[in-house]
Amino acid sequence: MSRVVMDIDNLHARIGGKEILKGLNLQLEEGKVHAIMGPNGAGKSTLSKAITGHYDIEVLDGEIRYKGQNIVDWEPEDRALEGIFLSFQNPVEVPGVNNAYFLRTAVNAKRKHQGLPELNAAEFLREMKKLVQELGMKPEMISRSLNEGFSGGEKKRNEILQMMMLQPDVIILDEIDSGLDIDALRAVSEGINKMKDGKRSFLVITHYSRILDYIEPDYIHVLKDGKIIKTAGPELVAELEEKGYGAIEEA
Amino acid sequence: MRPVLLGSMSPESLMEELQAAPSRALAARRLSELGMPTRKSEAYRYFEIDPLMDHDWERVEISATSEIEETQRRIVITDGVVTALPADVEVQVGCSDAIDLDGAHFDPLYYLGHLMSREVISLRFRKDARVTIVHRCTQPAKLLAYRTAIYVDANVHVQISERYEGENACGALILSGHDAFVSRDATLTLVKDQTLRIGDYTPIFSHRIKVDSQASCRLHSFDFGAGSGLQLIKAELHEHARIDADHLLYAKDHARRGTVSQIVHIGQSSVSNQRAKNILVEKARGIFDALIKVEHSGKETKAHQNSKAILLNDGAYMASKPQLEIYIDDLEASHGSTTGQLDEAQLFYLRSRGIAKDEARKMLILAFANELIDALEDDALREDLHRSFEEAYWGTTNVTCMETCHGCEDLAAETAAK
Repeated sequence: MSRVVMDIDNLHARIGGKEILKGLNLQLEEGKVHAIMGPNGAGKSTLSKAITGHYDIEVLDGEIRYKGQNIVDWEPEDRALEGIFLSFQNPVEVPGVNNAYFLRTAVNAKRKHQGLPELNAAEFLREMKKLVQELGMKPEMISRSLNEGFSGGEKKRNEILQMMMLQPDVIILDEIDSGLDIDALRAVSEGINKMKDGKRSFLVITHYSRILDYIEPDYIHVLKDGKIIKTAGPELVAELEEKGYGAIEEA
Repeated sequence: MRPVLLGSMSPESLMEELQAAPSRALAARRLSELGMPTRKSEAYRYFEIDPLMDHDWERVEISATSEIEETQRRIVITDGVVTALPADVEVQVGCSDAIDLDGAHFDPLYYLGHLMSREVISLRFRKDARVTIVHRCTQPAKLLAYRTAIYVDANVHVQISERYEGENACGALILSGHDAFVSRDATLTLVKDQTLRIGDYTPIFSHRIKVDSQASCRLHSFDFGAGSGLQLIKAELHEHARIDADHLLYAKDHARRGTVSQIVHIGQSSVSNQRAKNILVEKARGIFDALIKVEHSGKETKAHQNSKAILLNDGAYMASKPQLEIYIDDLEASHGSTTGQLDEAQLFYLRSRGIAKDEARKMLILAFANELIDALEDDALREDLHRSFEEAYWGTTNVTCMETCHGCEDLAAETAAK
């Protein structure tokens, strides 16, 4: 077993008075791809929100230990600066905030946190343009308002662009495949696969196995009723496809 | 002079008391009908007008026009008198009978301003022009009234940017405003930066804008000021005329500032589009009380009106009252108003990328304001306004192209590549 980079222990969390996560345990290993699968309402997105410090979430009990520290009370920006990245299921539109300006501010905040010099506009744009091309995005996306008027596929590509620019350590992909056509799915998957370096960990949250044909998982975790009820290797995907979530019982 | 005492006078007494010229008889009659504004007047309901009307003011005596400095594109009006002027703008200063007073303006102070202005500064544009008008006030704790008339001749396109300076004019009350006449097929772009650069006084701008057939007016007002101030606008649109009015307000402390307007569609197929954005901090009060009226004659008009406000503190307050008054069926019209705080989902999104909370708030506020600043076509004015807003919002400016310009990235990259 590789080194554990994130250890979620007995996590209880609620949204608006309703307890969603009910004692969830999960360990993310360094350099591995973990896929979380589960039926609607199981708590998959709530888990991603709890890890990133979303304002909707109230953690009632348990710990999220990341790089040796319990981050449950950390601000969202502190979690991000320490290397946690969430690719949102529905990225919010921010009219008036230029995409390039937003991303440069984020990249430079991280560089400052790491004690590195900030990138100037030209250095940043050169890097951003290269990745925009790799991801098959339209060049004008750089200067448009953040996610405003983007199609579903464009929004997801923009999430991957941010991920590639920010070089995080733990990447949570919340239904990254939803709303993507085959070409977009392939471009997004290639971007994700390029980020695999044996150190970086991935948490892929999905309903369907389609994305897992492109991003090969090391572990499959089944999340049901706020708990991980089964963890196994990639072979579990075929079983889930065949029998559905209903047939999986708590181990 | 206590303005409140004028409210009960007959037109004749008003003319005598204010030593108004005979051509101002209509103004006296209308002021007598309307009475002086009080806090119960609809237009001044959210603005503390009573102390200003009750105060015993010393009037600023408008001196005779003296030497006028020749400038490039800049008209300077100091204490109601033109002191600098570009050579190519025709200006007449005097009490002209030719001024077509609006007999149906809703604001009593429009008429008081005319009654008190012995001289009206008339600017006539016979050819395309871009000018800046600088209004300077230097008389503290006094009442200054002066009016400007702007004539844009047919087929002429004019851009006027205005700014205000209140050197040593602390505590003054300024009754000012334009009567603007945009002739057939002409365009008037009026960019008003109402933020006081220096000093502190209370301005009440009362405008009348007449947009003739197939003419258009773009009115962009920006107000990042402290203290009290109000602009009151009456606009009339004739056949196929158009007005686009944007108002951006940033108010803090105990400021009470805003816009009260009436846009009247008289001609058919006329278009109005009014947008207000308000950012209010601390105990500030923002005002947007706007009526769009479509007369029986205004068939096939389009009238849209929207107000958005962000309250950054519990004590901030927005008085928003968008209204439509429509007398026909055949038109397209909408109005709306929202008041709230910064969008939590947007704030979280930025923070989830490592951007600190304060920086994220700053980005969202700038973004909110950007929509109206970016609507300016003039690059230099746009940059000035971005800078002005940043200075007002957090004291310093570090505006760069990456933050404000949506088209300079290629230029930056090309420069670096060289």
